[in-house]
Amino acid sequence: MSKSTPLVGRRSWRPKWPVNTDRVFKRRRYFGTKRSVLKLQGQFNPKTLRRELVLTDKKPLFWIAALTILLVLPLGVGNQRFLSLFGIICIYAAINVMWTLIIGTAGLQSFATLATVGVGAYGSAYLSITYGLPWPLMLVAGAGFGALMGWIISLPARRLDGLYYALLTLGLSEFMRNFVTQSDALGGKFNGALFGVAQIVPSDLLTTRAGQSLLYLTAFIALLVILIVFRWVNGGRIGLMLKTAATSKEDESFASAIGVDFQKARTHVFIIASAALGFMGAFYATYIGGTSLQIFSLELLLLMLAMIVIGGLGKAEGALIGTVIVVGITQWFTDWGPWRVVLVGVLALLSVLYTRNGIFGLKAQIQEIRERRQALHRAAITGRYAEYLPQQAPDIHDKSLIVGRVFERTLRDRLKSWIDPDIIKEHELKPMGQHSDHLERMLNYFRKAPIPDKYAVYCVEPFASYRVVALSGLPGVPPRIVDDKTYPSLEEAYHAVFLRRVNDLRAS
Amino acid sequence: MATISITGYTDKVSVAPGEEVSFQVSVDNASSAQVEIVRLIHGDEHPEGPGFIEEVVPTVLSGEHAVTKQFVDVGNAAVVDDPDNKLGITGPITIYSYIFPTTPGKGRQVILGRFALDETAGYALCINPDGHLAFLVGDGEDTDEITSPIPLMHHTWYFVAASFDPKSGQAAMFQEAVVSPYNGRLGRVAPFDHHAAVEQKLRVKAALPASPFMWAAAHNSASIRGEYKDFLYNGKIDRSGVIGAALSVADLKALKDGTYTGAAHVAQWDTSAGYGEDGIGDVIVDVSPNALHAKGLERPVRAMTGYNWSGKHDDWRVAPSEYGGIEFHDDAVMDCGWDTTCTWKVPEGTRSGAYAARVTIGAVEDHIPFFVRPLKATAPILYLMPTNSYLAYANEMIVHHVPVGQAIMSHPAVLSEAEADYYQDPRFGRSTYDHHNDGAGVCYTSWKRPILNMRPKWRSSAIGTVWQFPRDLSTIGWLEAKGYAYDVATDHDLTRDGVDLLKQYSVVLTGSHPEYWHEQGLNDLEDYVADGGRLMYLGGNGFYWVISYRDGEPEIMEVRKGEAGMRAWQAEPGEYYHATSAERGGIWRNRARPPQKLTGVGFTTQGFDECHPYQRMPDSYHRSVSWIFDGVEGEVFGDFGLALGGAAGLETERYDLELGTPPHTKLLASSTSWSDNYASVHEDILFNHPGTLGTQSETVRADMTYFTTANNGAVFSTGSIAWMSALPSFDFENNVSQIMANVLDAFIKPGALPGGAWDQEEKSWT
Repeated sequence: MSKSTPLVGRRSWRPKWPVNTDRVFKRRRYFGTKRSVLKLQGQFNPKTLRRELVLTDKKPLFWIAALTILLVLPLGVGNQRFLSLFGIICIYAAINVMWTLIIGTAGLQSFATLATVGVGAYGSAYLSITYGLPWPLMLVAGAGFGALMGWIISLPARRLDGLYYALLTLGLSEFMRNFVTQSDALGGKFNGALFGVAQIVPSDLLTTRAGQSLLYLTAFIALLVILIVFRWVNGGRIGLMLKTAATSKEDESFASAIGVDFQKARTHVFIIASAALGFMGAFYATYIGGTSLQIFSLELLLLMLAMIVIGGLGKAEGALIGTVIVVGITQWFTDWGPWRVVLVGVLALLSVLYTRNGIFGLKAQIQEIRERRQALHRAAITGRYAEYLPQQAPDIHDKSLIVGRVFERTLRDRLKSWIDPDIIKEHELKPMGQHSDHLERMLNYFRKAPIPDKYAVYCVEPFASYRVVALSGLPGVPPRIVDDKTYPSLEEAYHAVFLRRVNDLRAS
Repeated sequence: MATISITGYTDKVSVAPGEEVSFQVSVDNASSAQVEIVRLIHGDEHPEGPGFIEEVVPTVLSGEHAVTKQFVDVGNAAVVDDPDNKLGITGPITIYSYIFPTTPGKGRQVILGRFALDETAGYALCINPDGHLAFLVGDGEDTDEITSPIPLMHHTWYFVAASFDPKSGQAAMFQEAVVSPYNGRLGRVAPFDHHAAVEQKLRVKAALPASPFMWAAAHNSASIRGEYKDFLYNGKIDRSGVIGAALSVADLKALKDGTYTGAAHVAQWDTSAGYGEDGIGDVIVDVSPNALHAKGLERPVRAMTGYNWSGKHDDWRVAPSEYGGIEFHDDAVMDCGWDTTCTWKVPEGTRSGAYAARVTIGAVEDHIPFFVRPLKATAPILYLMPTNSYLAYANEMIVHHVPVGQAIMSHPAVLSEAEADYYQDPRFGRSTYDHHNDGAGVCYTSWKRPILNMRPKWRSSAIGTVWQFPRDLSTIGWLEAKGYAYDVATDHDLTRDGVDLLKQYSVVLTGSHPEYWHEQGLNDLEDYVADGGRLMYLGGNGFYWVISYRDGEPEIMEVRKGEAGMRAWQAEPGEYYHATSAERGGIWRNRARPPQKLTGVGFTTQGFDECHPYQRMPDSYHRSVSWIFDGVEGEVFGDFGLALGGAAGLETERYDLELGTPPHTKLLASSTSWSDNYASVHEDILFNHPGTLGTQSETVRADMTYFTTANNGAVFSTGSIAWMSALPSFDFENNVSQIMANVLDAFIKPGALPGGAWDQEEKSWT
């Protein structure tokens, strides 16, 4: 080992709570679920064997912190621009969360997200204007429209896949825009703008800070509702099933093999998400007291796609953080003009180019990069069968393996120095029985090697045909055939094993 | 086309004419098979021998029989006999137990409970897949559980308990380790704190499954396969109980401290109750008034040290209360319990011998061996087949899991297709040379399962030659070739009939490796020889390990490998005494019966690289024994054979006065100067030192001896496993065969033995 061997070891600076094992541990659960409030797992510290209580899932803490900021910050600052900015963030985030459910969990490349939101918005707005529907019923109607829309769009998903389905759903927004422009009832004359929709917060209150705060609160609650739906579907049975099924490349056949009706589950998730999107459309209509064609615009769709890409696909937290970043840039720094869009584009590009799955995929990615660098670095300074490094030792539970290598290195060096044609000839002439001291020691070393990958002979036909195999050392795993050569006698097979072992020794 | 495979077993080791033997056959991918009864004459297919020889016996059985795939319900468990459904508890419940888990992380394992996976219903105290203690309930739709916050440590004793009140949903759990200087893998200096107490509400109430309350398993079923045990547990379980009330954490702790005074037990199992003078049965006694006794399945191992083992006693009979541990293994198989495919009533007049049901489907075949013994002796020769030793090696897989295996065998393992297949799924259990999945040595082995390596043509992967049964067939081949009239009986027949079986014969022949003996069998053989019987001990490493059977269950054999001997494993401290016979296990030498006392020779070395010829020793020229070598030319004999080219080798024996070789024994021949792959046996070594291997140790050899006993009795010992494999060489015409014939011819004749007159002091001038 080199002179500058680094010291290994880390001290934990995290606050520690001693575990009082005499106290009864009262494990509480979220209401109505089997989920523990915090996933606390006991363990024995591998360095000291001291009892520790570890929080195995920190996500709930981050969620509580993020949602608290989202609630308290706009209400605390209280100016109108801030409140409306965060209102938009909540609404867009809610839509993105549902979109990511469709793309990530259901695995459908659908771009009909905003079309569905629009259908919810226009449908409920129309009902409100025409029939005076109050806002709570508007939300219900919006969800209904969304579900219907979802059902219709899910039909071609059975036949179309990937790119074609994406194109079809992308076209749907344009179709909706045309439909609205040509429909008088939907404000075609006013370029698709509808006004006078029932609002949650009475319009006379909207000029006051209290009213604005209240309005923001409704957006925040809408986001909470959507997050609960996401958790319910994604973390529920159907979501778990879909995610399990999607671990294989041949998703569908694998899923059906393990008893998941993939199409049905997918459609199910898609309709639920669409209903939620319709709900958000209706909410949007009541939130601003009307609706406009901007909802079907390609620009908004792409912007929202950027939010998901930057945040990370398939994760609610990704949708949320992506929305905060993109909406923040585009709506807050209005004086930057067109550069805002460029900046968003650059961020999305960087995300696609350099991250595997947006911001929330970064942690795993960095971990992997570290492991790869570690492996390369260690491989560069140690050879096969060389000794272990100090930084490898903490990962080796059985320390006798470490000293075993120290011994083995010396032994192998000595054995290697004895390899010559004479010793190989000696074995070939007589594989069994007493040999010269050097050959005997070499054979003893080979024969007492650990089982994994240990060579053995496989009898294809007694006294006629043998091959060389390597044992697995794992229960239930059969020996591996090492090559396609066969040998007519046991002695020749024994010698073939010997030659392989000598080669392995030489190569180490 | 799917691969066809055939296997099976018989219900009995041996049958007499007039009795029935049934065949349990399982076949993959076929529905009918041709069955013939064959008499086995020779097995070893080595090209220098006669090859495989069988003789088809015309029977009513011959013909096509319907066959099917049969499954094995693998693993130990215990089922509670509960006719009044006392454990059908849907109200408040508490379960507690002392446990010693050995593989807590292997997957879910039930400790005690009544749970059915196929119904998702029931309750169970168990270990969850993360290795934490858990109490699981299922209502037919959904399950819920309370778990301990810390994982269980393997090979550590714990008191574990859980309670549940379905009305309030409140569950409680308590666990505490019981660590003494003796009772576990770790002592108290390892600063583990295993204490945990948890409270939590469960959202599911238990619904009752149809299956019974079990120890160490849950119930499951699948189409085609049917019912089977699942969630199998590895490790020991000691005293346990069930209470029909939901105890608080304080009360659970009181249970452990022995201060509990609350609601009465529904069941209170005292795992150390019912230990008899002569052994322990399969029943786990419930000492509560309900008497809900549990019966062990596939022979859980009893007489194991308990949580309270003091370390002072090493014998369960002295301190039974410290031996409440019952060991469960998820891979144990004692009786496959297969449906009978066909039955053969052995007709009167059927000659005694080694037989097999030959089951064939196209080119695929299997021989399912059994033995036909005579009703009474039909010849002066009895060939005693060492069926105890066949059981010991049944389904041995040593080369797959013992790293030094190839070093012991001194050559690479030679695997067959059948073995490579079987290793993937060892569903017919293991041999006493293997370990269970948790590393514990296998101490029970059984006849009632397919035994892959007890087949006439089987070649041992470890040894590279035939081993045991196929080798022993070479002596049958020789007896047939030489035209001797003989009977065949087994160790199992000796167990049943005692010395009377032997007394019918002038001479008894052993197998090549009669290694495993129970006390009665050894006594019978000693009585026979001492009273004038004649023994030809034709093997090596015989009369070595102590074994025992439970009365009435001769198909299941127990062995506890002790602190000495050439052994594949060693029993844990304090666990050397057999559960089935209450006697100390280990090698007979350490129970004051070295093999030399009976046969003149005893185990001295083993090696598997080469076999060697014998060289005549000076004693062999004495007129009292020189007749043994009549017709043998030269000093050297046995330099050939189907076993690595010599008659002396593999596992061999030596003459040793200090170990009880009778003082008048003649050392007829010996074989020495072997390779370093032959090592001195472990029980001969006190301090290990360089120089205990073949090229440097004089105890590495094989000795052939002869001595006479009272009433014209005698013992001739060859001292080598390879001996029998030399008989078939050169078409059974060779000097080894000649020596065999000389001795056998003399031993058959009643009255005085040859050479007996030459008993006076020599007065030699040369």
